[in-house]
Amino acid sequence: MFSLNNQLELRKVTISSLITCIYLPSIITFISYRGLLYSVGNGSSFYILVLIFLAELLKSFYLNASSDIQAKKNKASKSRVSDILKSFVFLLVVLFSYFVGIILFGAPLLECHEETLMLAALMTLLTVFPLIAHTGVEASMQLVFGIKTYGKDTIIQMLINNSLLTVCGAWLGAVVIPLDWNTPWQQWPIPCYLGAVGGYVLSNVLTVLKVSLMTAAQKYPALNFVVKVMNSLHNAKKI
Amino acid sequence: MKEKWNYILYLIWFAYLILSAVLMFGHGFLLSRKTLSDVTKCVPLTEIGCDGWEKGNSTEVCKEDVKIRRLLANPGSEIACVPAEFRVALVLVDALRYDFTEYDGGIEKPLPYQNRLPVMKEMLDRWPERTRLFRFMADPPTTTLQRIKALVTGSLPTFVDASSNFAAMELQEDNLIDQVTKGGGKLVLLGDDTWSRLMPGRWLRSHAMYSFHTWDLDTVDTEVDSKVYDELKKDDWNLLIAHYLGVDHAGHRYGPNHPEMTRKLDETNTRLKRFINELPPDVLLFVIGDHGMTETGDHGGESKAERTAAMFAYRGNGLGGNSSPSNIGAEVQQTDLAPTLSAALGRPPPAPSLGSLLLPVLPTMSVPYTLLHITNNLKQIRQYLVRYGEESQQISLDRLAQLINATREQLDKASSIETDEELANYVADVRALIENVRNVFREVWVEFDSLSMLRALLLLILAIFFNWLITEGLPMDRVPLIFASSFVPTGFVAMAVCIGVCYSAYFFEILDDLEHAIILSTGLISGAITCTLVIMHWDGVTQRWYEGRSQFYERFARAAIVASAVVLVSNSYIIEEGAGLSFLSLSVLALIAWNVGTIKALAMWACCGVVLALTRSYRGCREEQGDCWTAGEGAPSGQASRAALVLALGSVAAVVAVARRHVGWRGYGVVLSGLFACAHWAVGWGTLGSPSRSRLLARGSWLVIVTMFALLWRRDGQGATLPLTVCGLLFYVANTLVLGAAFAPSAALALLTGFLVLTIVSMEKNSTSTKFSLSTRCSSSVACAWALLASYFFYGTGHHATLGHVRWAPAFHAGDPNYLAIGPPITAALVSIDLFGMPLMFGAAVPLLALWGKNGASNVGPRTQLAAVFSLCLKFALCFAIRVFVCAMSATIHCRHLMIWGVFTPKLLFETGACAAALVGCVFGAALATWHIPTAHRSS
Repeated sequence: MFSLNNQLELRKVTISSLITCIYLPSIITFISYRGLLYSVGNGSSFYILVLIFLAELLKSFYLNASSDIQAKKNKASKSRVSDILKSFVFLLVVLFSYFVGIILFGAPLLECHEETLMLAALMTLLTVFPLIAHTGVEASMQLVFGIKTYGKDTIIQMLINNSLLTVCGAWLGAVVIPLDWNTPWQQWPIPCYLGAVGGYVLSNVLTVLKVSLMTAAQKYPALNFVVKVMNSLHNAKKI
Repeated sequence: MKEKWNYILYLIWFAYLILSAVLMFGHGFLLSRKTLSDVTKCVPLTEIGCDGWEKGNSTEVCKEDVKIRRLLANPGSEIACVPAEFRVALVLVDALRYDFTEYDGGIEKPLPYQNRLPVMKEMLDRWPERTRLFRFMADPPTTTLQRIKALVTGSLPTFVDASSNFAAMELQEDNLIDQVTKGGGKLVLLGDDTWSRLMPGRWLRSHAMYSFHTWDLDTVDTEVDSKVYDELKKDDWNLLIAHYLGVDHAGHRYGPNHPEMTRKLDETNTRLKRFINELPPDVLLFVIGDHGMTETGDHGGESKAERTAAMFAYRGNGLGGNSSPSNIGAEVQQTDLAPTLSAALGRPPPAPSLGSLLLPVLPTMSVPYTLLHITNNLKQIRQYLVRYGEESQQISLDRLAQLINATREQLDKASSIETDEELANYVADVRALIENVRNVFREVWVEFDSLSMLRALLLLILAIFFNWLITEGLPMDRVPLIFASSFVPTGFVAMAVCIGVCYSAYFFEILDDLEHAIILSTGLISGAITCTLVIMHWDGVTQRWYEGRSQFYERFARAAIVASAVVLVSNSYIIEEGAGLSFLSLSVLALIAWNVGTIKALAMWACCGVVLALTRSYRGCREEQGDCWTAGEGAPSGQASRAALVLALGSVAAVVAVARRHVGWRGYGVVLSGLFACAHWAVGWGTLGSPSRSRLLARGSWLVIVTMFALLWRRDGQGATLPLTVCGLLFYVANTLVLGAAFAPSAALALLTGFLVLTIVSMEKNSTSTKFSLSTRCSSSVACAWALLASYFFYGTGHHATLGHVRWAPAFHAGDPNYLAIGPPITAALVSIDLFGMPLMFGAAVPLLALWGKNGASNVGPRTQLAAVFSLCLKFALCFAIRVFVCAMSATIHCRHLMIWGVFTPKLLFETGACAAALVGCVFGAALATWHIPTAHRSS
């Protein structure tokens, strides 16, 4: 659960989540108005991924702009290039493992590789990329393999929550594929793609809601009950 | 260790409860009809002598009329062929409801389907003597396949046409098409390929097209249109069948109230006009609908709208019977079509037909000919009544005898009829009689017994609920104490008392249905006893639930098994169940592996995923999976290709060779049976092979397997793990034998998956220590994952939940068992091992989940081991029970659904089979484990 100790971090988390709540739905609305919603699996929709990439990158710059900016800059400037290279390789590895994982879960084995790849790229972008951009390769590797616990860092907590809900969303998206409704949005990988995006947005909405509730509860103690309920829900979700 | 065998007894008790309840459900739900292989034969008039009997050597010559009169005077004589033959064009417009054909100029704003077939009205007004229009009443289930079967046999459709061989979809009974081909007639088919699948090889020319794309309104129709007019011009056929699907598909997609329906009906109207113009005047034209549709465009049930189809008949040279306009729209039964068409084509009615002749749609005939047709119809029905009474006890003998006597009386009357008036009365009498016969049969064939279905569901839910409380509620440390007490013996005594009471009540004729009463009373008493147990230990249950909630992955696994069951309510998920099960089982395993959290576990999980992905190539597809089916992947290949043979040999050799080193002396048996299996395929392969030697080798392999199963019970004091592993391997070899070389590698993949999952499970550790802990190793997540995999590999080994996918080759791979005295049980056993070998193998290996690995239960005291094995087995069995319960539930909910006979009922049957196999395997494995777990020393 988020701690209220660090007001600055809390504000950052809220604002970045708010940005996500705005930009992702607007991208989806835009492409659905252009009639391109059902082509998200094609390679031609790569620009969506680029847009998301840029947005996430900007968000991470905002999140990283911490008070001890000086110290970090010194450290970072030395190995900037190799850092970027490393994170690129790491992202590729994650992308590949997502790709394989999705196929193992039942995506077509020999065809539709383009579509599967787009889904894998989206999931990489939404789950691992923000982590890397925020903490760097080593730390995020440690986080992924569970060596390091993220303890009380609010931002990392939010990022991990985001990735978990994204994966859950993509998982749940697969549920509608076998139905025989013959609608255009049941094509592989549209339900999973939209499910992943939906999970990500939902997680951000929840974050904003939680933070605002917590701040409100400070003023109006009556709301504490709601916060407790949300806490217990959160703990239930987190194993 | 008093409790040792009580565990096994309890598992048997549970299995009995579930299976008996399912049996009761089946009795109420599955409508069954005995299929007879009889064929109606007729003797040509030329071979009948003047005395009305079949001609011997006498060379008398007499007039035909005299001959027929003599024939009619002999009610016991053979059925005689009527020499008059006509050509018939049968146009089947799928889902042509009766009100589509009505025309009422007075309607101001016609609905999209109203007034769209003006040609019928026009013809009726212009030539009333040439045209007939009837309500053509269908019997439920009103699905196309069942309707076509019923139309050509003239019988009533049921789901289980229990015949000696229901392997192929091919129609086994005598039918119109066979009668025509037997008489030397030629047939042409255009349109729906259901006809050619039901009756392959009977057609002079067949232009059949795939019919399952219900969203494609035009392809089949345009294709038929492009051929049908040429065919109509030719005169080399006797019966032409054109089956149009557009109206039905428009109904499915848009419903009747849609402009598309207007378009399709307008097209039909143009077609009919052209048919009427182009047909030669002596050809009979029938335009019929096989069923109607509801207001949403669906069909399959028994509502009036679905049952009322239309029948339009036209002949340029005029039709017989009464042509008064009041007859328009009279109700006739669809069963009447088969005898009527056969009469028009000069053939006797098909043997199973229960229809009567429709004289108004036949050309005008002289009185003797008409009488001859009617007596033929009566004779055929009498014969059917006699034969059905011989083969089945569904209808009481008194009733049958009464009906047979009634037909005999009518036959006796036939010879005395001279005038048209008498004839009309006689025809009405015969129709009433046949109507009566049909109603008697309909009563036994078409009614669900909802009372026993509901009772069975109640029993299932009782058994599942209380056993769930026992596995998930009772504290683990109390389980041995409960089973050491008199709980299980009490249960068995109570059931024995129940059976005794029921039997004596039956003996004194207070009860009619013994089986029903026994199942109901034992089920209820078992529910009461388990309920008492739970109440007595309620403090423990509440304490366990208070102490802590289970882990997230465990709850997820339970949710997954429930979800895998609940989705069976939807036909799409049943059709795609293979993919769904692999998705769910991989998800459950992923969470288990994630919980272990080591790289090794994740790698194991990935291997599992790869293996499951490899089984996809064996999964094939069923008819409803349109694209895949038309690509030809659905048909199971008969002979294995060279590559498949190499794969099969390689997989068995690899499994046997690797396994042998780890299982001690028992390994030799496994190796021997595996070698025999390999030799069996290699010798029998291709054209060079020797089938007889190959069969001998297969028998050798079975002999080794059976011997090894006997040897498994030899105690060697080394714990239960080794014998259980060998048991799994033997089941594997047995599976490969029945699956045949083409599918054998999939069994190896299943074995590999099982091994990987066992390894993952044995890596699980308790939060506090690495030692064995009951709560971790016997958690429901493990049992659920195992049950999901067991269900998945039904699909993974190339099966599907349709009757058409049952393979019969396994019954014959070791020689034809029908020559043996115990042939039928052997056939049944081999085919069910082929179908449900995987649930059986996984069921037998359930105890391994607790015992496997260094930190398995095999190192702790025997009491704990037994409790662990028991609780896992019960959880595993519960998973299957839940799935069967939901299947039965969905069959009840959907009992009037469009796909009830195509999708839901087969699923229920196969799920029941899988459940039975899993329960048997589970009891077997648990018994083996109990036998081998050493008896406790006094100190423990």
